[in-house]
Amino acid sequence: MSDLSFNIRIAVGGRTLVDIDHFRIRENAVTFLFGESGIGKSLISRALFGLLAPEEYTITVNGEPYESYLCGPWPAAFQKNGFFVFQEPSTHLNPLLTIKNQLHEGSLAQAPDEAPILRQLWSGMEDKTVRGLLEVFPKPYRPSGGEKQRMLLVMAFKKLEMMLAGSPPDRPPLFVFDEPTGSLDNHFRDLFLAMLFSRFRQRAFSVLLISHDYSMISHVQRAHADLTGSIAYKELVSHAGLLALQDFLPETYLNWLNRQHPAPPATGIMVESAPLVTVESKVEVFGRTLAITRDRSARSEVPMEINRGSMVYLKAPSGTGKTTIVKLMMGLASGSRFRMALGTMTVTETTPREVWRKRIWGKQMTMVFQHADEALNPHSTVEETFHGLPSRKKQMREDITRTLRELFDPEDVTEEFLKKEVRLLSGGQKQRLNLLRGLFLDTDILIVDEPLNGLDFESTTKVISMLQKKQEAGKGILLISHNEEIFDRQVPREHVFYLKAGP
Amino acid sequence: MIATKLGEFYRDKDKRWLSIWVAGLLALWIWDLVFLNAPALARIEAAFVNTLYAGALVVFMSLVFGWAAGVGLHFLDEARNRSPYIVLTFFLNVIRSIPQIVGILIGYVVITFFIEQEALQNQYAQLFWMSFVISLFVFLEVVDLVRDRIRYFAASDFYPAMLCCGIRESRIVNIEVLWKNSRAHLIHKLIAIFGSAIFLQCSIDFIISVGLSTDVSSTNFPVTLGSLLAKMDSKQDILAIGSLFGDLSVFGRLLTEHLQGVSVAVVIVFSLLCIYQISNGFVKRNSL
Repeated sequence: MSDLSFNIRIAVGGRTLVDIDHFRIRENAVTFLFGESGIGKSLISRALFGLLAPEEYTITVNGEPYESYLCGPWPAAFQKNGFFVFQEPSTHLNPLLTIKNQLHEGSLAQAPDEAPILRQLWSGMEDKTVRGLLEVFPKPYRPSGGEKQRMLLVMAFKKLEMMLAGSPPDRPPLFVFDEPTGSLDNHFRDLFLAMLFSRFRQRAFSVLLISHDYSMISHVQRAHADLTGSIAYKELVSHAGLLALQDFLPETYLNWLNRQHPAPPATGIMVESAPLVTVESKVEVFGRTLAITRDRSARSEVPMEINRGSMVYLKAPSGTGKTTIVKLMMGLASGSRFRMALGTMTVTETTPREVWRKRIWGKQMTMVFQHADEALNPHSTVEETFHGLPSRKKQMREDITRTLRELFDPEDVTEEFLKKEVRLLSGGQKQRLNLLRGLFLDTDILIVDEPLNGLDFESTTKVISMLQKKQEAGKGILLISHNEEIFDRQVPREHVFYLKAGP
Repeated sequence: MIATKLGEFYRDKDKRWLSIWVAGLLALWIWDLVFLNAPALARIEAAFVNTLYAGALVVFMSLVFGWAAGVGLHFLDEARNRSPYIVLTFFLNVIRSIPQIVGILIGYVVITFFIEQEALQNQYAQLFWMSFVISLFVFLEVVDLVRDRIRYFAASDFYPAMLCCGIRESRIVNIEVLWKNSRAHLIHKLIAIFGSAIFLQCSIDFIISVGLSTDVSSTNFPVTLGSLLAKMDSKQDILAIGSLFGDLSVFGRLLTEHLQGVSVAVVIVFSLLCIYQISNGFVKRNSL
């Protein structure tokens, strides 16, 4: 097996976006590419696949201008026999064509029928329902994100079938999967990986799989151990503005995971008998009934209690309403039935907003939102992101710097960094800043929605450690996350709740 | 280096048209300095300065009124007691229902009353109140923009995420949403309001100067481009343009002998065109 190696530089408007030597993809192997969001994984793979517009960027590949690279053999080989699955399915699908038509567009028209692939990817669903989806013109909210993502995977698998049916091409085809399971739960993620590896076993091909989901490692090690020699784990890291592609040893993650356990009970803090917050089990919102239960089968409805020094994990499939529940708790959505006991206060669906403003927001409870891109002010500087927070009339710069150093490299937290506008940060940096703003506050209850989104391994471990410190300080944490493998080890079973959607 | 900077400056349409506007007015002023008699030139200068002064005041007042009313409506909308919100909305809708020209004319009648009562004698105070009246009928555009911007951010995670952190809502609205994220939108709106203010001022001043109103006249108002255009000698100059169709040789005399009316007309039309182009360029440069 040899490596495809590229030196890539991408700049826009005089600002360097990517500068990396020796970006290697193993030929006829599956390369998992991890790294913080916004570091350049997608951009590099798009550049290599020949998908960037030369007039928009200044790009050189192996020292040559991008126009020359585009006329060279690689992009043609990648595109002819390979496929690129985009991270955001909505931007990949054409809203003016039915999904069925899109499954037969271009070279896919020559591919074998997609019915077997659809059956596999929609396991357990009736054929009629899936066929109905094919007649849909994709729109932002229809089909769901997960369904759109699986449709893109169907396209990729059709192209794979075509490639496998023919004789091996002269140049290796490349299949790029950019966050292919971002909208899928673990069941469908594992299903996708099983389908990919079953084809890989037929005949090896080159795969670049971009992800933030480090828990894929343990699944692959467990379920596809026979392919260990054909799988590479890489991490894209940044050092002083230069990117480097490093090997990521699966043991690094697996050993860390094995060391994880629930935080010890808070010491030196009086643990009160009454919970900090109790949410009644039945909630009605947007015409739907949601029920909080103790087990996945949703047999026993129970109120959700968050105690001092505990971390509570709320689980449910995507789209069930986990974020809606926490928005109700934070007074950001109005339900037709909702009851929550917050210390000595009872909050219901009729409680005026004024109560949240005066007594809850930033004082008793705070919430870290899922999408840092939306939750932060892009035109604020890093330092200004902490301005206006309650109980610290004038945030001392030292406090802010100290907080930032908990999740950022201390050497990076310079005067220049403090004055940098949020819009200029990478996705992962924004996520860290978003988390730090919530953690900066001293509220008794902290709600974190997908706190590990877009983080690399190092930041993931730091965030987990910071959450544990909050617990040790006697704070109650409510967690929503699809990283079940990681958080199942942090949260004792009795603190796990499930959300079930009713009619 | 300088050539590069100039090239960059010239590539931006708004900056290009701003320089064209300034250069054009300067060229016209030099031409008038050479060919126009001194009293007429002084009148044009005074009219231009007054018009710009009033336009700037309208922009300033519209921003203040619009920002205050837009933010006020937002907070009243969320309050449990709906009465203040309904009253303010009703008041704003009443203003919205009055045609701008009619409303401003009524305002001018009131100003004239105070001028006749000798309660309003200072020329700059008169211009201030004229601007106040115009801004009363254009500031709603700022109100709508302010509300749109707040609604846009309230619908995303931006606004609630800050609320949850306990950041005061007044800070979120005024600083985070409007100051940090809507400045370009507001500036664009204010450029448009500046253009509207000049247009409305010229239209109203022209209307009252040609005598559609018996209560107000150009004699008791500060001279503006609109009122100067309505003066008899300016009108004769404008009419002279018509004779171009029959006799092209008039063109030379037009540029040297009928300069007051032609200059005023050129300043108005050229300024409105430049403001329109600046506004378009600003939209493009800021990707609004």
